[in-house]
Amino acid sequence: MSQYLALLLILTGALHAQEPNSRAAVIEKSRDAKAAKLEPDEVSPAEKRLRMFKDAKYLERISSGYNGLRVKLGNMVTGGGFAVGPEYFREDLLRGQLTTRASAQFSTRGYQKYEAQALLPRLANGKLSLEGIASHRNYASLQYYGTGPERTKDLRTNYRLEDTSIDGILAVEPKKGVKFGASLGYLWTNVGPGNDKRFASTEKVFSPAASPGIDRQTNFLRNGLFAQYDYRDDPLGMAKSGGNYVFQYSWFHDERLERFGFRRMDIELQQFIPFLNKTRVIALRAKTTLTETDRNEQIPFYLQPILGGSDDLRGYRFFRFSDRNSMVMNAEYRWEIFSGLDGAVFADAGKVFPRRGMLNFKNLESSAGVGLRFNARNATFMRLDVAFSPEGFQLWIKFNDIFLSRRFGTSTGQPVY
Amino acid sequence: MKHSFLLLLLACTAFAQPKFYPDDPLDKEPAPRNVDKVLSRKLSDYYDLFSHQFGKTGERQPKMGPPIVARASVNTLGEPMDGVWYVKRHYYRRMPAEELKRGPGDNRPPAGAKWTVVGAKSEGITPGFTILDEKKQRYFIKFDPLSNPEMATAADSITSRFFHALGYHVPENYIVFFRPEQLELGPDVQLADATGKKRKMTSRDIYEILVKVPKTKDGRYRATASRGIDGKPVGPPRYYGTRKDDPNDTVPHEHRRDQRGLHVFSAWLDHDDSRSINNFDALVKEDGRQFLRHYLLDFGSTLGSASQKANSPRSGAYFFGWKSSAQQLFTLGLAPPYWALAKYEEYPSIGLFEGDVFDPELWVAEYPNPAFLNRLPDDEFWAAKQVMAFTDEDIRTVVSTGLLTDAKAAEYLVQCLIKRRDKIGKAYFAKVLPLDRFRLDSSGRLIWDDLSKSLNDARVAWFAFDNVTGARTPAAGPSAWAVAEVTAPSRPKQTVQVFIRSGTIVGLDRTW
Repeated sequence: MSQYLALLLILTGALHAQEPNSRAAVIEKSRDAKAAKLEPDEVSPAEKRLRMFKDAKYLERISSGYNGLRVKLGNMVTGGGFAVGPEYFREDLLRGQLTTRASAQFSTRGYQKYEAQALLPRLANGKLSLEGIASHRNYASLQYYGTGPERTKDLRTNYRLEDTSIDGILAVEPKKGVKFGASLGYLWTNVGPGNDKRFASTEKVFSPAASPGIDRQTNFLRNGLFAQYDYRDDPLGMAKSGGNYVFQYSWFHDERLERFGFRRMDIELQQFIPFLNKTRVIALRAKTTLTETDRNEQIPFYLQPILGGSDDLRGYRFFRFSDRNSMVMNAEYRWEIFSGLDGAVFADAGKVFPRRGMLNFKNLESSAGVGLRFNARNATFMRLDVAFSPEGFQLWIKFNDIFLSRRFGTSTGQPVY
Repeated sequence: MKHSFLLLLLACTAFAQPKFYPDDPLDKEPAPRNVDKVLSRKLSDYYDLFSHQFGKTGERQPKMGPPIVARASVNTLGEPMDGVWYVKRHYYRRMPAEELKRGPGDNRPPAGAKWTVVGAKSEGITPGFTILDEKKQRYFIKFDPLSNPEMATAADSITSRFFHALGYHVPENYIVFFRPEQLELGPDVQLADATGKKRKMTSRDIYEILVKVPKTKDGRYRATASRGIDGKPVGPPRYYGTRKDDPNDTVPHEHRRDQRGLHVFSAWLDHDDSRSINNFDALVKEDGRQFLRHYLLDFGSTLGSASQKANSPRSGAYFFGWKSSAQQLFTLGLAPPYWALAKYEEYPSIGLFEGDVFDPELWVAEYPNPAFLNRLPDDEFWAAKQVMAFTDEDIRTVVSTGLLTDAKAAEYLVQCLIKRRDKIGKAYFAKVLPLDRFRLDSSGRLIWDDLSKSLNDARVAWFAFDNVTGARTPAAGPSAWAVAEVTAPSRPKQTVQVFIRSGTIVGLDRTW
């Protein structure tokens, strides 16, 4: 037994000799262990790729393109399907004083759109801007349900709209947020049979008396005036406070037939009421389009104000209602779900009507629904709305804000802008 | 049987480690080992965000069983040792006002009348330059946003001084004023444009940057000049794991007290941008050896600032959380989170900062941080006692380094910091016995500082202590090896075990 004890004592002594005898030695021992297995502190391949992706600025390159050439996605009229095409874009000309772009787009539903624009945004120390814009559009199957508020949804037809326009727009901004301007342009129009075989072509269902301009189209000289007061906190992104009030008056002169000249007034009021540190917003919008004609003149059906769709009466199909006048009101309660997503509960009400005297709150069509707003860099990049109305429900997936401001100028006079 | 017992006893003795070594408690880490080769690598902030938000990084506290305490990174008193991560400062040795103001240094601002621009960042939301002063020293020049003059530069200056006083390594940040004529473009300076394409920088580019930033009334530009950190940059440390090529980095960062406690400091100063890429490792050479030193930097997004705009009111909440998002989604936002209820004073030079709704227990950084999440009540106490060490006057002194021209804004900031400080003390002094600075008086009685100044029923029980076996036996008072167990009936689960060796306090263990 004493032999075992002696052996154990020797072992104990040996073990003690290897153990650190100070705190510093304990730390050094752990450093020894670490030093024995040092290796380069590489980042994982996934992290390396993400880092390279950001450093190489691929997203920025895709959006800015190569030598001004880039891909343009979306921005086609509602119902046109997914659109894509090349765009040439430069904003560095004349030392950054001139912005130009030209694009051609084709959609999955066979729509085409060609645009060219030149903009001098910062004349007179930024108080003046001058813009020239030309476009040609060929929309193969726009929906039309007939003119008037009582038209049922069974009357759905389709027609082809081809138009070419050229406009010049001059805007003065005497004070931040206050803008006045004028526009002058020319519009060539043509209407033909729609190519959506599921529905009747418009000219087979509606007569020229019911739908003016269906048989003969004309060209318009158009000019307009506009004014805007905009004090939204983020006019280019997701506004959460402030207001935006727009007034526009346009004259459309029938240059060929002298049958379809008219005048059009657009008023749009937006108000954003924030609370709880702008994490909740009540967004309100009211807009109306009123038109008038001289005796014996009519507004062609394809230039009549329309309602229905993802941007106004969301519980109805797009272009569901059209007439000489329209009004719509939208109210949204938006709340932050997390920093990249807002929820929305909304209600829409509006109508089209034949006479301006009918501008009131009677006989409104209405819809309500819920939605999600996906945000990045303070702008909505995708919107998902589900809306219900007496005609059923509609699901909208859009890549814009519902209250997105339209471009000033006479092009806003075209309903399918 | 008798022999077997003897054998077992001897074996236990052979393998047992003493709880305390003769050199405990260590005040400083042993001198760092020489680091021969270290990889300079960049981290991805996207990866950092996604891996922390949706993955599980580092070793987390177990859901069951004893928690992982931050023992390996501290001495036996529970204090981080002076070293490459941390240096004991204001709490341990009151820094006079001049030292608080000086921070990591205040006598090396950019020198000379001409500064040479050697790099620029014109794209993105944070415009700035890199300059060399007349002594060829590198500085990073950062500006305020047009909407919030003084905000980010003040935050950078103030917060870097707070973090310095709290013990961290930080760069020297100076608020400077200059005229454009002072800038001289260096030869062949390359500029990456918004798409990452490199081209030669021109004086026009300097102009383009300056038109995006505010000017003072006398036509100068105010900026933060952050002095380049000495040593070779090798990429930021993470908030978890260790660097595989650094022999001195042996404790996983998520188990370091200085990293866990950083949560509390970040909550106080609203440093919600406390992510890996805002840290910095430098390979420095001192006393003939080179080693890594770990820095915190980039404090422009603190104290209500988000660098290029006022901070989001979400500050103190994750960008995304499954539970909170589901709650907001299904309640239609009618159950607003606490931070949404905050009321902010409108001071452009402060941004969104407040102290009334702030709750240190609820505050979190922008996305999950493994070190912050691993913190335990003793980590929080360690941090809270340091925050509470700043008197109102100390806070006022540090805030004065922000050179805020609006005296009301400066005082508002001071009051917010005081409120937030007091809430931190109240929250974390309640979780462990708030007693510290234990010592024996001349009669051998154990005395301490009650940091809460409100604990009236603390009492002591004495035990003799075996440093090898850890065995304790009741005793009448201190002996060569003793443990004083401090308890308070008002807080039955909280104790402090004070270990005493020959009249010297060598260790503290807290329970909660």
